[in-house]
Amino acid sequence: MIAEVQDVYKKLGRVQALAGVSLEVNEGELLALLGPNGAGKTTLVSLLVGLRAPDAGRVRLGGGDPRQPSSRRILGVTPQNTGFPPALRVHEVIDLARAHYPNPPSTEEILRRFDLADLAKRNVNALSGGQARHLAVALAFSGSPRLAVLDEPTTGLDVESRRALWEQIVRFKQEGGTVLLTTHYLEEAEALADRVVVLAQGRVLTEGSPDEIKRRVGLRRVRFAAATLPELGGVKKVEREGYRYTLWTTNADVLVRELVLSGAEFSDLEVLPVSLEEAFLAVLDGEVSA
Amino acid sequence: MNLRPLLAHTKVELLTLLRSPGFLIPTMLFPSMFFLMFAAPNLKSSLAANFSTGSFMAFAVFTVTFFQFGVGTANERDNPWSSYVRTLPASPLYRSLGKVLTASILALSAALVLVVTAHFSTPLDLPLTRWPRIFLALAGGGLMMGLLGTLLAYLVSPKAALPLANLIYLPLAFMGGMWMPPQLLPQLVQKMSPYLPSRQWMEVVWPAVSGDPWKAQHWLALAGFAVAFALLTVWAQRRDESIRF
Repeated sequence: MIAEVQDVYKKLGRVQALAGVSLEVNEGELLALLGPNGAGKTTLVSLLVGLRAPDAGRVRLGGGDPRQPSSRRILGVTPQNTGFPPALRVHEVIDLARAHYPNPPSTEEILRRFDLADLAKRNVNALSGGQARHLAVALAFSGSPRLAVLDEPTTGLDVESRRALWEQIVRFKQEGGTVLLTTHYLEEAEALADRVVVLAQGRVLTEGSPDEIKRRVGLRRVRFAAATLPELGGVKKVEREGYRYTLWTTNADVLVRELVLSGAEFSDLEVLPVSLEEAFLAVLDGEVSA
Repeated sequence: MNLRPLLAHTKVELLTLLRSPGFLIPTMLFPSMFFLMFAAPNLKSSLAANFSTGSFMAFAVFTVTFFQFGVGTANERDNPWSSYVRTLPASPLYRSLGKVLTASILALSAALVLVVTAHFSTPLDLPLTRWPRIFLALAGGGLMMGLLGTLLAYLVSPKAALPLANLIYLPLAFMGGMWMPPQLLPQLVQKMSPYLPSRQWMEVVWPAVSGDPWKAQHWLALAGFAVAFALLTVWAQRRDESIRF
C-alpha cells in the first residue's frame, strides 16, 4: 500500500467536506476517485498530498506523514492549470519541478512525452487550454514519482487531447507507477481505472471495478406515455406523472425491447441520460440501490 | 540544506522580475525621481547631501521590501500555483528564501541607482569606510519593513492589501523623515515621528551616513518592531490558514 487514509474528517469553514472516509491506494494500481462536484474529492486529495491536515483520522503517504517534505519525494501532483507563474516558459516550469527531486528524467524527455517539445520556449500564458493541461499533467511526472496524483486531469479537454493524456497515464502505470485520479467522468474511470471509489457528500458511497460501478450508477431514463405500466425487469426507479412514466435503468436497450415485446400500448418513447450527479443523489436518497 | 530547490526558486523569481520591465524600471527609478525633484535642488553642502542620500536610499529599500515583496508575496497565497509548489518535496522556506534573495538584489539595485543619481546631482561625499555600516542599517530596516508588508497582507484580504499598503507606505516614509530632515516636519508630525518604525530606522541610517556612533536604543527599537511584526505575521498566517484550510 503506497497511500492510505483512515477514518478521516475534515471541515472547511462550515462545510463538513469529509465525514469519515477511509481509502487505500495499492502500489501499481490506477485508482479513480469518482464523484459529483462538492463530493469531497479535492479535499481528500489535498490531505494526501500534504496541503491540509485532517481534523481527525490518519493520513499516510509511503508510510510517512505527507505534511513532511521528505514523504512527498515519491509523489507527483498536477497543479490546477489556471495559475502557472507568469513570465515563465514551458521548459522553465518543468525545470523548477525537477529541481525538487533526486532522480528526475531530463526536461527534453518530459517535453517529448507530453507533446510539448515544440512549445518548450513558449510563454506559459500563451498556451491554449489544452496545452496548459498537458503541461500540468507533465509536471506530475517530472520527478519520476512512484505515485502520481491527478486531480481532474482532462476536465475541459477535447477528445483527442484527452486520449493523448490517457495514453501517457496508462504508460506510466505499465512501467510500474501508481496513479490516483479524480474525475467526474464515468467514461474516464472506465477507460483507465482498475478500481473506482465513489465519493458523495464527504463519504465513500461505494467502490468496485469500473464495470461494477457502471452497472450501479450508469443509469438511463426511459420515458413514455401508456395507460398502464407493463411488468418490466431491470427497473431501478419509477416516476409517474399522469400517464407518463419515467423508468430508471442500467440497461435501456433491454428495457425498450421488453417494453415492445410486452405488447403494451405506448407512445412518445424517449431514452435520456442520467447525469452522475443525479445518479449519485438517487443512490444517496435510497431511491435506487447501489 | 539543499541548494538545488533554492537556486531554482531564486532563478524563477529573478527571471519573472527581469521579464516584467513595466514593474522593474519604475521600482528602480521612482525613489531617484523623487529625490531629483524634491531633495537634490536644496542640497548645497556635502553634509546635507549625505544625510538626504541616506534617507532616500532607505526609502528605495522600503519601497521594494515593504510594498512589492512583503505585500506581493503574501498575496500569492491565494493562487493555485502556490498550492502546487507546496506539494513538492521541499520545505516552503526554499521558495521564501528565494524571494528574500531576489528582493535583496532588487533593493540593493534601487539604492545603487539612487547613489549614482545623488553623485551626479549633489555634492555627495561618502568615504568608502562608511559603506559597511550603511549597508547594515539598510538591510536591518529592509527586513523589518518586509515583515510589516507581509503582516499587512495576511491581515486583510488580497484585494484590500494593495490599497491599504499604499495608505500606510507614503505616510510612514514622510513622517519617519525619509524625505526631509525631521526638524522641517510639521509640529504634530515631529511629536509622533519617534514612535514610528520608519523613524527608528532613520535613526540608525543617519549615524551610519555621518560617521557618528550608533545608539543602542535605536537598534533595539528596530529589532523590537521586527520581532513584533514577525510574531504578528505568524499569528495572522495561522488565522488565515484556519479560515482557508
